[in-house]
Amino acid sequence: MNSFFLRNPSTLWFLMGLGLFTIGVTILSEAGIGFLSTSFIKILGKTLCLCLIAVAMDVVWGYCGILSLGHFAFFGIGGYAVGMWLMYARTEGIVLDSLAAQTIPPTPQEISDAIGNQIFGVVGSSEFPLVWAFADSLFLQLLMVVLVPGLLALVFGWLAFRSRVTGVYLSILTQAMTLALSLYLFQNDSGLRGNNGLSGLQNIPGFETTPQATISLAFFYASALALALGYVLFAWVVSGKMGSVIKAIRDNESRVRFLGYHVESYKLLVFTLTAIIAGIAGALYYPQAGIINPAEIAPIASIYLAVWVAIGGRGRLYGAVIGAAFVSLLSSWFTGGGAPAINLGFYTVNWTDWWLVLLGLSFVAVTLFFPKGIGGLFDYLVRKP
Amino acid sequence: MRRVFLFLALWLGFAPALQAQDLQSILQIHATEVADPGRRTVNAVLDDLAVSGLSGVADFLESWQDKAVWQRADGQFFVAAEAGNDLHLTDIVSGAQSTASKANFTQIKPNGGVRRVIGTALVQFQLTDPDLARRTTAVASIARSPNADQLAPLLASIAPEPDADLRARKVQLANFLSASFAATPNDRIAAIDNMAQDTSVEARAVLNQILTVRPGVAAMLPDNENVAGVLTPGQDMTPDAAYSLLVAAGLAPPRTPPGVIRAALEAHIDGGRVADVPVAQLNTNAMRERAYAGLAAAGRVPPLVTPSDRDAAMAAFAFFEIYAEADPAITDAAKRALASVETRVAAGQTVDLALDALSLASIYFLAAIGLAITFGVMGVINMAHGEFIMMGAYTGYVVQLFIPDYTLSIIVALPLAFAVTFGAGVTMERLVIRHLYHRPLETLLATFGISIALQQLAKNIFGTQARPLTSPAWLDGAWVFSDVIQISYIRIAIFVLALIFLALILFVLKRTRLGLEVRAVTQNPGMAASMGINPERINMLTFGLGSGIAGIAGVAIGLYAKVTSEMGADYIVQSFMTVVVGGVGNVWGTLAGASLIGFLQKGIEWLNPSNTLAAQTYMILFIILFIQFRPKGIVALKGRAAAD
Repeated sequence: MNSFFLRNPSTLWFLMGLGLFTIGVTILSEAGIGFLSTSFIKILGKTLCLCLIAVAMDVVWGYCGILSLGHFAFFGIGGYAVGMWLMYARTEGIVLDSLAAQTIPPTPQEISDAIGNQIFGVVGSSEFPLVWAFADSLFLQLLMVVLVPGLLALVFGWLAFRSRVTGVYLSILTQAMTLALSLYLFQNDSGLRGNNGLSGLQNIPGFETTPQATISLAFFYASALALALGYVLFAWVVSGKMGSVIKAIRDNESRVRFLGYHVESYKLLVFTLTAIIAGIAGALYYPQAGIINPAEIAPIASIYLAVWVAIGGRGRLYGAVIGAAFVSLLSSWFTGGGAPAINLGFYTVNWTDWWLVLLGLSFVAVTLFFPKGIGGLFDYLVRKP
Repeated sequence: MRRVFLFLALWLGFAPALQAQDLQSILQIHATEVADPGRRTVNAVLDDLAVSGLSGVADFLESWQDKAVWQRADGQFFVAAEAGNDLHLTDIVSGAQSTASKANFTQIKPNGGVRRVIGTALVQFQLTDPDLARRTTAVASIARSPNADQLAPLLASIAPEPDADLRARKVQLANFLSASFAATPNDRIAAIDNMAQDTSVEARAVLNQILTVRPGVAAMLPDNENVAGVLTPGQDMTPDAAYSLLVAAGLAPPRTPPGVIRAALEAHIDGGRVADVPVAQLNTNAMRERAYAGLAAAGRVPPLVTPSDRDAAMAAFAFFEIYAEADPAITDAAKRALASVETRVAAGQTVDLALDALSLASIYFLAAIGLAITFGVMGVINMAHGEFIMMGAYTGYVVQLFIPDYTLSIIVALPLAFAVTFGAGVTMERLVIRHLYHRPLETLLATFGISIALQQLAKNIFGTQARPLTSPAWLDGAWVFSDVIQISYIRIAIFVLALIFLALILFVLKRTRLGLEVRAVTQNPGMAASMGINPERINMLTFGLGSGIAGIAGVAIGLYAKVTSEMGADYIVQSFMTVVVGGVGNVWGTLAGASLIGFLQKGIEWLNPSNTLAAQTYMILFIILFIQFRPKGIVALKGRAAAD
């Protein structure tokens, strides 16, 4: 393990930076001197989750050369899986409280009907669909966070890689998968509340009395820990012999195949592993966001993911982290009205309207002129012998 | 000559006297019934009026129905309109106008029942009215509320009907009325048999009306009723529905729903217990039923109907459906006719579905054909293609702001949209794509960045709400073959446009110098360059051509859907799939891909018509699987052109 960090000094630097950042945020938070508001802690926690999925995206795209436009779907699935438990458990608590006031104790059927009515009333139903079969068990739903994205990626990847779908065709295919999933979730009879999505996820059952400040800090730590573990895991995957094969697949797939490697297995492994990590990132993200709906999974989200990684710098894990953090924080600063409007005299540039234009164009500029992204700047700091 | 004049004068002057009666005198005979009509007495008046054959009768009946008839103190009737304290009178016979004070007149106000009777009588006058519009209105009013009385006048009016369309409609309507109301069963059966070829919604409604059933329950199947079929609880109907029939017929005690059990238990809590069961234990249905049974045994609540009681009660009775129509011969004929109609309707729906699918396929084709050139022929993946479609549509919208004439504005918009998006495409090729020719993934991302920027730009300029792109009036409406098969003109126009484009693209690529050069540059840029072709110029023009076509497609799509900044994004994934499924690098492949996707989507929608989202989901899943088995698409290129 020692030698792993010695061979990958950037991982060590990253972990140190993340640790310092976490400590700094703790001191500045309401638990410390109270400089940062709870909602800002949530934004930071969410950003860490986005950094985690960006790292996963970097591995699958920057290292393995598969431009997947579907990883945000896995992220969303993770969010839905954990959201189902959160929503079920919280509604159950509310329903039990209200039924306890009655003279006769409720039957299990009555409880389940009342919960169903609460959750599915918005889509005109009160029946529990099959996908909610395990919603009462936190353990099983957490298992889903890993299993569902993993299995979906495994099946999809197996089909796609087996028939040698590569390059832009694979991108379009993954995008189609994402579109299919989000269209499916938009239906009212999908069993996941259609376009209402799942809401109230910021209320954690069992911690009703705990203030949001504490909960958000806890999620911030969890996200930081997940990012640290995920980063180390991926740094380990892309280093060593396996890492070399993966990078070789990116550079010349046929040549690797002719050397006797089973390219499909490597690609499948990377695709599935990154999908699972994406699911975990989603499971941590949405309790902080409080709401998940199918629009989050729309193909555009996955493309933004690629944008972050490209701006941050492909093929270097810290680049993905920088890209995701930089662009998503900048994005919320611009769209949240944080950026001052520019008065040109004849026209006022309102950044909530013009941010996307700027992002799109700067993205084109990065692709054309800085293919290494922001992370490429580090090459000037560290001169390799 | 003189004698002729004399005769005419005599005839004109004394005509009322010479003829049997005039309208006023007929009314005077029945003065009391006209002044204060009752539902029974009014018929005598109406019969006499009908027999008289006078021309003013229909107008008079209309006025009578509208409470516009007034009676003077001397008993004479007038048609009159109120004007303050005066009346504008119209003489019933001569039509002479005059004005008089209201004081001498009483208004005749027939009640609702009488007005209906008058209305029915009026129909036969209107059916033979010389004015076509009036006859059409009369026929429409019969169709709205058919009843038995209208059959005879309708049949009588068929033969003298001069208008062929209206006569056909009258025959059809008479058939419907005969099927329901004709005097003898044979007439009704004959009418029903005539309807076996009629696929209109009305005909099906009439047949279904004849075949109306109501559920019944009795100890035995009744033999004096027209029984449609025996129902078996559990198969044809749910046990609960069957039991509620029994309850409704008073043959069994009602079941106690869980809510009522609960309420009964709550009402009888006695010292923390209900019939010896502690309240705390009442949290399962079994314990609740036990407690309820305890209460029932003590006689404090009606006894519970257990599932076995329910099954026993259901086994003791026969459940069946009875036709409201008593004659089995008629219901059999109606069943035969309906089966035949439904076969025809199904065939018609298949054709209609195919037409729908064809128009959807042409929309996909239009959206994808530009992409087939940039992506398929040049291999450049342009994620901003959808935004070029949007740009074309907004061009159409802007043109309509300046040119109010819709036909002219479309004619101007089509080439202008081509010019605008051609320019945009060439600019983009020069500035961005040229630098990325051998890095397809980066092209995808860069063009995606342009797509975000263009979309937001459109939002900033035109706002987020949908903008209308109005089609010319001659494209409104639909081409109706029958009640089942119809297609709107706009869809036909889009189909025609798609065909024109197919021909145009094939012509440009296969028959022109430009097409030859495009194909040469696509296959081997180096060799093409050495033959004196400028690959850069050709790439620029090809990309412009593909983008320009997207702009024209945008105008077409905008006519059919709303123009929003997101409309391009709605089509981009489908467009790419059309090209990929069809086979890259081949216009025919795009056509095949668009047809496959269009027909597939409509087919899936037909299986689950309530849910178009599900149809799209399943279609995408199908395409993902399809690409597994034919990775090169339907029309795969062979040989050197197929090299990646």
